[in-house]
Formats: sequence, C-alpha cells, structure tokens
Amino acid sequence: MIDFHTHPVLVREVVGRDEALLRVVREVFKIGNTLQPLETFHLQMDAAGIEKAVLLPIDCSTSKGCQIFSNEQVADLCQMSGRFIGFGSVDPHKKAVIDDLERAVNDLGLRGLKLSPPTQEFYPHDKNLAYPIYERAQNLGIPILFHAGMSWEPQVKAKYGQPLYLEDVASDFPDLKIIIAHFAWPWVLEAAMLALKYPNVYIDTSCLYFDNPVDFLAYVMKEQIPLSLIEKSLRHKIVFGSNYPRVEIRKMAEAIRRLGLTKGCLELIFRDNALRLLGEVSV
Amino acid sequence: MKIILQKMEVQSRKGQELIDLTPQVERAVRESGVREGVVNIMTLHTSSGIVVTEGLPCLEMDVLDHLERLAPDEGDYYHNRYLEIDGRLGFNAGAHLRSVIGGIQAFFPIEGGEIVKGSRQRIYFAEYDGPLARTCCIQILGQ
Repeated sequence: MIDFHTHPVLVREVVGRDEALLRVVREVFKIGNTLQPLETFHLQMDAAGIEKAVLLPIDCSTSKGCQIFSNEQVADLCQMSGRFIGFGSVDPHKKAVIDDLERAVNDLGLRGLKLSPPTQEFYPHDKNLAYPIYERAQNLGIPILFHAGMSWEPQVKAKYGQPLYLEDVASDFPDLKIIIAHFAWPWVLEAAMLALKYPNVYIDTSCLYFDNPVDFLAYVMKEQIPLSLIEKSLRHKIVFGSNYPRVEIRKMAEAIRRLGLTKGCLELIFRDNALRLLGEVSV
Repeated sequence: MKIILQKMEVQSRKGQELIDLTPQVERAVRESGVREGVVNIMTLHTSSGIVVTEGLPCLEMDVLDHLERLAPDEGDYYHNRYLEIDGRLGFNAGAHLRSVIGGIQAFFPIEGGEIVKGSRQRIYFAEYDGPLARTCCIQILGQ
C-alpha cells in the first residue's frame, strides 16, 4: 500500500540540522509540530498499513525565496529509507528549470514532479512558463502531482489552484499523467469531472479542511460527489494520500476504509492506481 | 539538597499504548545518589500521560479501553478545527481529554536510595495519540 502525498517537513535527521530549512518549514510551509525522528514516520506508516510513501518537496525559490525541501534532500532521504519514493520539484520561473528537472530525474533518481501553483505563483495553463516543463516530464515518462484547491500556507492564493486550469494541460499533454492533489477542495466536482473525462487525470485523497478525517472525507466523497461515482467510474483514478504530517497517515487511511467502498475499490485506491502512476504496472 | 532534572525521549509505536518507565525511573533515582527525598515523573505533552497501575497486559488494555470509552477519538469536539499555531487541524480532542482524565504526572517518595512504591505498582508513559517521539521529565529532589 502506498501513501501518494506526504511531506518530510518534520524529519529531525534533516530539518533538525538545517536552521534555514526549519525556518522555512515553520514560516512558509507553516507547520508547528515538534520535529520527529525518521522512525516516527515509519511507525506512522506501519500503523496505517502503508508500505511506501511518496515524498513531496516544493521549489518556490522565486515566489518565496526558498525551497520546502530540495530535490537533493529528498534524494538523501530516499537513500536513508527504501520505503520512500522521492518526487522532485522545480521552479517554473527559473531559466534553468528544464535542467533542474532532468537532473532531478536522471541524476537523483526522483520518480515524479510536484508543482504547487499557489505556492509557486503561476497558473498551470501558462504556456510560456509551464508548458516546457510538461513537455519534458511527458518525455521523461514521469507523473506530475499538482497542488489544487485551498492551501494552509500563509500568503498563498487559491486562485492558482483551481483545477479547471488543468484541463488545458490534460488535453494538450495526453501522455502526461496528472494527479490533482487534495481532491482540489473545495472544487471537488471540477476535479471529479476532469478525472472522469481525461484518461491521464487522477485525484489524491489528501484533503482535510475542517472537522476530522472521518467526517470530512465522508462529506467530500459521499456528499460533494456521490460515493457511487468513485466506486463505479473513478475507481481507477483515485490514489490514497494523507498529507502527513498535517494529518496522521493512520487517521486518513481509516477514514478512507470507512467510506463504504468495496474491497476491490480500496485495493485500487491504496495500491494499484499508485503503482500504475509510477509505471510499476501497466494499464 | 539536590535537585536533579532528567529529560528522557520515549518513542511510542502505536496510536495508544502504555510504556513501562519503571526501570528508567528506578535507575535515575539510584544514579542521583539521593537517599531521602521524592521523585516526580511528568510528560511534557498534552495528548499523553503518566499513569500508575499493576503491570499486567490485561490491565494495560483495560486502562486504555476505559479511557477511550470516556473520551473517544470521535466526538463533536470544539477542537475539530484549524489551529493557527500548528498549521493543521486539531482533531485529537479525545487524546487531550484522556490525558486530562488519566493525569500527566506521578510522585513517589525516596527512602534509603530506593523508590517507595507498592510491589505491584508500575509507572507508565501513556500514549494517546501516537506513534510519536515524546519527552518525559524525571525530577529528583532530596539529599
């Protein structure tokens, strides 16, 4: 089982040795919890029955003057633990963005790309800034996970995170696998529409904006859209993501398991769809 | 009079569990050299606790189950909201309430360089919202 959406922002072995990164974690990513040893990350996965987790950085060098984990730091963590699947991030505003992307994939062995248009301050359908990245990612055969919807990060605008902007991308790059993160909350219907229509669009479940995981995910996946839409039409297009450490992995996994989906659908969400996105199994 | 403060990291491995700290507390008392005094044990976290009970696995389960019944994870809590200080939602009111009910500290006298406690009593760190690396304090006062 795979958690497709985690951030290593509290891992003490890395953040505890880097004062500048700690300040970025506190002030830009905005999380205040105590740093934890890497072992806690593994134990959180164990408690949820999760074998592997995708680690996501954000390169917001131009918009925020920092990186919320560098690609090198993600690669280092993947060296420290075989349970991590590292994604890279690149800054669309940088001239050397394609070089950075190629280095992340070819030299560091990172297996996908994370972009956060709200944090990085660009519109995902910007042909000048973003399309060269998509073209290269498509050629490299890596998926791109886009932050979509609301963000807790301060001074970060949701206007860049509207999922409908991804329709141009999905249509213009049909061989590029796209993951819409956080169910694009509150634009859940729009995200579902894109995943329904475009074979290359997926959604991750990492959304929690009020109440608790059980109630919130039931609201999103049973009220904002009917559960039957997931069970029957989107069963191959949803991947489990927790957004750890903003939420404990075990609590998000438990909330998904309690939705009332069939065993077969849960296996797709927790494992098979992620493996397909990572190219480990064919369609 | 000596006043000695030790901070100790405790790695919990489950959502809820009791971790026996008695050997660590006894060792801290012996190493302090204090012959007559007191020892306090305290957790630094509001979603964990310190409890004293008999050292039996069945009782460990009963304590956790009973606290869970009194303060379940799921409930219509005001705490189920975004917390600016944490940058995340605080939907763990049940864990905080179990900490309040079960208590966060324990106290034992020291006599002749040893803890004075009942033969069945064990000192546990109580994890209510793990797995997490936690910090406990052991403070020894005496001479």
